[in-house]
Amino acid sequence: MSILNTSLSGMLSNTNWLTAIAQNVANANTTGYKNVQTYFSALVNSSQNFESQFSGVSTTSRAMNSLQGQNMQTSSTTDLAVQGAGFFLVSNSNGNIYLTRNGSFVPDAAGNLVNAAGYYLMGTPVAQQGVALNSLSGLVKINIASGGDASIASTAATLTANLPSNTAAVAGPTPASNSPSSQFTAETSLVAYDNLGSPNTINVYFTKTATGTWEATAYDASAAAAGGGFPYSSGPLTTQTLTFNPNNGKLSSGSPMILTVPNGQTLTINLGQTTQLASNFAVTSVNINGNAPGTITDVSVGQDGTLSFNYGNGSSTPVYKVPLAKVASPDNLNSVLGDAFQANPVSGAPQVGIAGTGGLGTINSSALEQSTVDLATELSNMVEAQSSYEANSKVFQAGAKILQVLNNIQA
Amino acid sequence: MSLSAAFNIINSSFRAIGAQTATISGNVANANTPGYSRQIASPITDAFNGVAVTSVTRVANAALAARVNLATSDSAAQAAISGGLAVLAQTVSDSYTATTAGAQQNGNSPFALLANFRVALSTYEAQPSSITAAQAAVTAAGQVTSSLNAGAAAVTQVRTQADQSIAQAVGTVNTLLAKFHAVNNSIISGLGSGENVGGLQDTRDSIVTQLSQQMGITTSLNPNGSMSIFTDNGATLFQNAPSNVTFAPSGTLGPNQTGTQLYINGQQITGSSTNTPLQSGAIAGLLQLRDTIAPQYQAQLDQVAGNLITAFQETDQSITTTGLPPLPGLFTTQGATSVPPSPTWAGLANSIVVNPNVDAAQGGNAFLLRDGGISDTADQNYTYNSSGQSGYTGRLTQMVSALTSPMSFSSGAGLGASASITDYSNASVSWLQGANQQASGAAAYQSSLQTQASSALNNATGVNLDNELTNMLTIESSYTASAKLLTTVSGMLKTLVNAV
Repeated sequence: MSILNTSLSGMLSNTNWLTAIAQNVANANTTGYKNVQTYFSALVNSSQNFESQFSGVSTTSRAMNSLQGQNMQTSSTTDLAVQGAGFFLVSNSNGNIYLTRNGSFVPDAAGNLVNAAGYYLMGTPVAQQGVALNSLSGLVKINIASGGDASIASTAATLTANLPSNTAAVAGPTPASNSPSSQFTAETSLVAYDNLGSPNTINVYFTKTATGTWEATAYDASAAAAGGGFPYSSGPLTTQTLTFNPNNGKLSSGSPMILTVPNGQTLTINLGQTTQLASNFAVTSVNINGNAPGTITDVSVGQDGTLSFNYGNGSSTPVYKVPLAKVASPDNLNSVLGDAFQANPVSGAPQVGIAGTGGLGTINSSALEQSTVDLATELSNMVEAQSSYEANSKVFQAGAKILQVLNNIQA
Repeated sequence: MSLSAAFNIINSSFRAIGAQTATISGNVANANTPGYSRQIASPITDAFNGVAVTSVTRVANAALAARVNLATSDSAAQAAISGGLAVLAQTVSDSYTATTAGAQQNGNSPFALLANFRVALSTYEAQPSSITAAQAAVTAAGQVTSSLNAGAAAVTQVRTQADQSIAQAVGTVNTLLAKFHAVNNSIISGLGSGENVGGLQDTRDSIVTQLSQQMGITTSLNPNGSMSIFTDNGATLFQNAPSNVTFAPSGTLGPNQTGTQLYINGQQITGSSTNTPLQSGAIAGLLQLRDTIAPQYQAQLDQVAGNLITAFQETDQSITTTGLPPLPGLFTTQGATSVPPSPTWAGLANSIVVNPNVDAAQGGNAFLLRDGGISDTADQNYTYNSSGQSGYTGRLTQMVSALTSPMSFSSGAGLGASASITDYSNASVSWLQGANQQASGAAAYQSSLQTQASSALNNATGVNLDNELTNMLTIESSYTASAKLLTTVSGMLKTLVNAV
C-alpha cells in the first residue's frame, strides 16, 4: 500500500527538516556556524506511459558553508574572521588538519593560538618563503609565546635641516681635522642603534667652508674629549662636502652620508631635503630606523594574515603568515565536531593561499563571524514543517481508513 | 537581510554609541584640564551595514603648539633677565623727586653718594680748619666705597644665583627628558597596538611645554608616533633616547670669574665661542644675565672705582729730580702700594675702601684730607700742606674739581670712553635702570604673547561644552532609536513565536 509508505516518508522527511531547524535554532549564536538547509526530493519508483509509481519523498541536509556570516567587532586582536570564501587551517591535538571559520583564537598555556572548539591555528613562519599551494606541508602551530626581546640595528636615517646661508665661513681648522681648535657652524646629533640595540649618539657637525659649500662631519659622541668637544679620541666616522644650489638653496651634492655605527651596521644618512637658506640653523626632522630591545606586548593580524609581534619599543615584526584555504565545493565538506570541516573527494582538495589572493577573502582582526542562522526564517520554516507533517498524517489517516473500508468489505 | 542581521546591527550600534559616549564624557570631564585636547570618536560603517568606532582621534594643532612653546621660551628668557636686573636695580633705588641742586641726594646709588661726597668736600673746602667738616667728608667718601662694594656684591650675588638656577634648570631638563622618554615609549607601543593614546599625548605635550620653559626647542614627529626634540640651535635633546645635558655649576662667581657653559652629548651649545648658541628659554636668559648683563654692570662699577683711586692719587710733592711714583690717596684697596693701572681694574669695585689713615674711626686723621700724605703718614714726600697751614685749601680744590673733570674710561663697559666720574656714574645708574625697565616691559610683553598663544591653542584644541552637549543629545536620540528598533525586532520575533 504505497499511500501509507508515501505519507510515512513525508512525515519522516518533515521530522528531518524539524531536526535541522532545531539544530539551526540551537546554533543561532555559534561563531562561524553555517545554517543547515534541508532539500526535499520526490522518490519515484518508475514512470512509464504516463503511469507513475510514486514512493514518497526523501531529504538531504546540507550545511551552507559558502554563506558569509556577519562580522561582529570584539576587543581581542586574536579574534579573527574571514571575509570571503576561505577557511582557517586548524589542527586538532593529533595533528590532523581541518578547516574552520570559527576564529575565536586565544593563546593556551604554551602560547599556541587555540579556538573555542579546541582547534589550533596553523600558519607558516614568515622566514619560510611563500605558502605551498595545494599542500598542507610546512604548516606549524602559531605560537605567540616565542617572541622574546628583539632589537634592530639602525641602517637608514633621514636628517633634514636648514643651514644658515648668511653666516661667515669658518676660518681655521674644521671638525674634519679633529683638532682641539676645530671650529664649526652648527651641530646636532642622532641616536643610532648598534647590533645589540644599545643607543649610540652620533654628533653631526655642519661647517661652512665657503659660500654655498659646507662640510658635514660625523663623530661618535662617546669619543668626545673630556669636558666635551674636540679633539675626539677617534677620528671622524665620515666627512664630506655638501654643495648647495645658489638659485634655490637646495642641496646639489653631498647626500647621503654613509658611516658605520660603532659595533653596528652601515648607516646611510639621507640629507636630500637639507637646504641652505637665509634663516637660522634648524633641524626639521631626524628619522632613523632601528630599535632598542623591547619585550613583546601584543600581537596584531593584518588583512593579509600577517601576524606580527608588537614590542614595547614600538617596533613590530611580522612572524607568521596565517594562510586561508578554499575548496571547490564548500557545501560538500564533511562536518566534524566544533564547527570544523574535513575535505573529501566531493568537496575537492583544499587550495592553500595567502589571504586577499585568489578569492580566498581577507582576515579581519578583532572580529568574529556570526552564525548565519536567521531565527525568523527558521521559525516560519518550523510552522511550515509542522503543517506539512500534519497534512502527511492526514493522508496517512485517509490511507488507514481506506484499508479499514477494505477490511470491512472482506469481513 | 534578516531579523537576526537586524539584531547584530543594533548590537553594533549600541557598542558604537557606548564608545562615543565614553569619548564625550572624557571631553566634558576634562573641559577645564589645562593642556587637554578634545577627542573625537569617528563611527564608520562596517562591511555588514553595522557601525563601529575603530579609532578615536585627538584634535591637535602642531603649528599653534609650536607657537606656544616658542612664546613660553621667549617669556622665560625675559623673565630670567628681568628678575636679575631687578635685584641689581635695588642697589640704585634713588629718589629723584627730593633731589635739588646742592642739597643731599636721597638714595644709595654710587651716583647719589658721589654727589653727596662732592657737597661734603666743598663744605670742607669752605672751612678747612673744621674737624667736623673733615670727618663728614671722609664719612661721605666711605659711603661712596660702600655703595660701590654693595653694587659689586649684588653683581656677584646675581651671577652666582643665575649659575645655580642654570644648574637647577639643567636638572629639570634631564628629569623632564627622562619622563618624556617613558611617555614617548608608551605612545609608540600604544599606537602600535591600536590603543587610544590621547591622554599620553596630552602628557607628552605638557612635558614639551615645561621643557620650552627651560630652553628654546623645536619638535618633529616621526612616522611611528615618536617625537624628537631639538634645541633652537639645532642640538638634539631627544631622538629615540634622551640626550645628556650637562652643566658644572661654579659656586660663587666673583669678578674675573667666568662660569662654565652647557653641554649636550659632550658638545658645548652655549656661550660666545659657539657660532650658533642657544637662543631662548630660562637657561639662555640666565646665561645672558650671568655672562653679559651683570658683568657689564660690574665693569662700569670697576671703571668708577678705578678712576676714583686715580683721581684721588697723591703725587710726589718733594722737589727731587727722579720723581717718586704716585700713590693711592683717599681711595685705595687693602694693602695697595701703587695706583693700579687701567687694565687691572676688574674687581676693583669689590675691594675699594677709604684709606684707614684718614678715617678717624680706624685711628686715622681726617685732616690728612686737607694736608695730603694719606698714602704713607711717615713719608713727607706726599704732603701737600708742607707748611702746616690750617687754612690750606689747595689739595681740597684739586679734589673737588677732580670729581667733575673728564677722565678716561674703558669703552668696553658700554658707556663711552671719556666723562667725569660723576657723569659716568650717573650714566651707569641710568643704564641699569633703563635696562631694568626695558627688561620688565619686555617680560610683560612676552608673557602676554604667551597667554595669547595658549588661549589660541586652547580655542583650537580645547573642549567646547556646547559642542559636546549637542553631540551628546544627537547620540542620545540615536540610542533611543536603536532601543526602539530592538523592541520592534524583538516584537516581530515574538509574534512569530506565538504563531507557532
